[in-house]
Amino acid sequence: MAPFYEFGRFGDSASLVVAVLLGIAFGWFLERGGMGNARKLAGQFYFTDLSVLKLMFSAILTAMLGLFWLSWAGLLDLSRVYVPETFVAPQLVGGLIFGVGFATGGLCPGTSCVAAATGRRDGIALVLGMLAGVFVFGEAFPFIETFAESTARGAWTLPDAFGLSHGTVIGMIVAAALGAFAGAEWLERRAERPAAPPEPAR
Amino acid sequence: MTTDNRRAPGIERALLVAAIVGGALAVIAGAPARATRGSVDVRRLALIVEQEEDHVTAVELANWIRDDHKGLRVLDIRPDSEFKEFHVPGAKNVQLPEIARMPLDSTATYVLYSEGGTHAAQAWFLLQARGIENVYFLRGGLYEWLEQVMNPHIDPKASQAERDSVRALARWFGGKVQIGTPTPAPSVLDGVLTPRAPNATRESIRRIRRRAC
Repeated sequence: MAPFYEFGRFGDSASLVVAVLLGIAFGWFLERGGMGNARKLAGQFYFTDLSVLKLMFSAILTAMLGLFWLSWAGLLDLSRVYVPETFVAPQLVGGLIFGVGFATGGLCPGTSCVAAATGRRDGIALVLGMLAGVFVFGEAFPFIETFAESTARGAWTLPDAFGLSHGTVIGMIVAAALGAFAGAEWLERRAERPAAPPEPAR
Repeated sequence: MTTDNRRAPGIERALLVAAIVGGALAVIAGAPARATRGSVDVRRLALIVEQEEDHVTAVELANWIRDDHKGLRVLDIRPDSEFKEFHVPGAKNVQLPEIARMPLDSTATYVLYSEGGTHAAQAWFLLQARGIENVYFLRGGLYEWLEQVMNPHIDPKASQAERDSVRALARWFGGKVQIGTPTPAPSVLDGVLTPRAPNATRESIRRIRRRAC
């Protein structure tokens, strides 16, 4: 039964090897999907290229349906899967900072590593910036600790928040994702059309 | 841009169908597991029980409700019909099987009660197994609530302050204070040993079997 690490199928060192392999695969596929290109990612914010939105929703659907049905089939113990804890206010502020950085640099933490690995200089600059940010956050943590730990909701999931069954929430998210895919394709088709009619040939 | 010659419409269509089918069936399946599994730290729970930190008294619960204790959620795990007859103010009716799958808030404080206390104590373990730590049960069940909060008997020798606090709590919940020692309750075996009507016997045995649960 999964998670294999939680059930002692492999130890700490083996889990690090698995993590490295998964990380390389993650980066490889992000790069092959064009996610190391800041121009492509920034297109998201101009509604010209919504690859990121489609990629994120694809990943969410794959993981969500995969976890649900593996658990339903008795192959996975969901209670042993770590759910990150929610801190409403600090995460709103963090999300805002993240968004500003993403829109400015055109890359998010994962894609900046991919961009750096392929030798893009903007990627390298962003990775250095991210490490500097991590350092500053770590040093400043004692001063912002009270805020960082405020409005704690624990491992808070959508079924908890809405009082709905997991299945109902999944149905809603699948519908939202399919709507987002259709909307994204429509926006992209609109962006492809030339803004002004071509000049008539003389 | 969408004009990407690497796109494979066949695969996209297959994934679309998989998402729709997987999502629709999930709505029907409801819960991600047919059996709800939980795990407990047996030693930790044993210590909590030994130190009697697993339950509250009716008076403690009444004070929590009156003082609007932060995140308090009172769960009544008796059958629906009995809940409709009478329940602790603010309590939510939950059937035992629902305990396995109901959404829980790990920041809340849960207080469970049943008729006598046994079912609530058992549900206490179930909630612990689901990872809820702030959970208590009403030790004497609804009986204790009725005796200690709704119809408390004040010892005539009790101090004035003591009487006032008991009276204030009872009044807050719409109960009535009685001075003196409680009259003994009728024996639960009365209905069984001298059945007034044969048809009533099975029903009363069923009720008595569940009594104090």
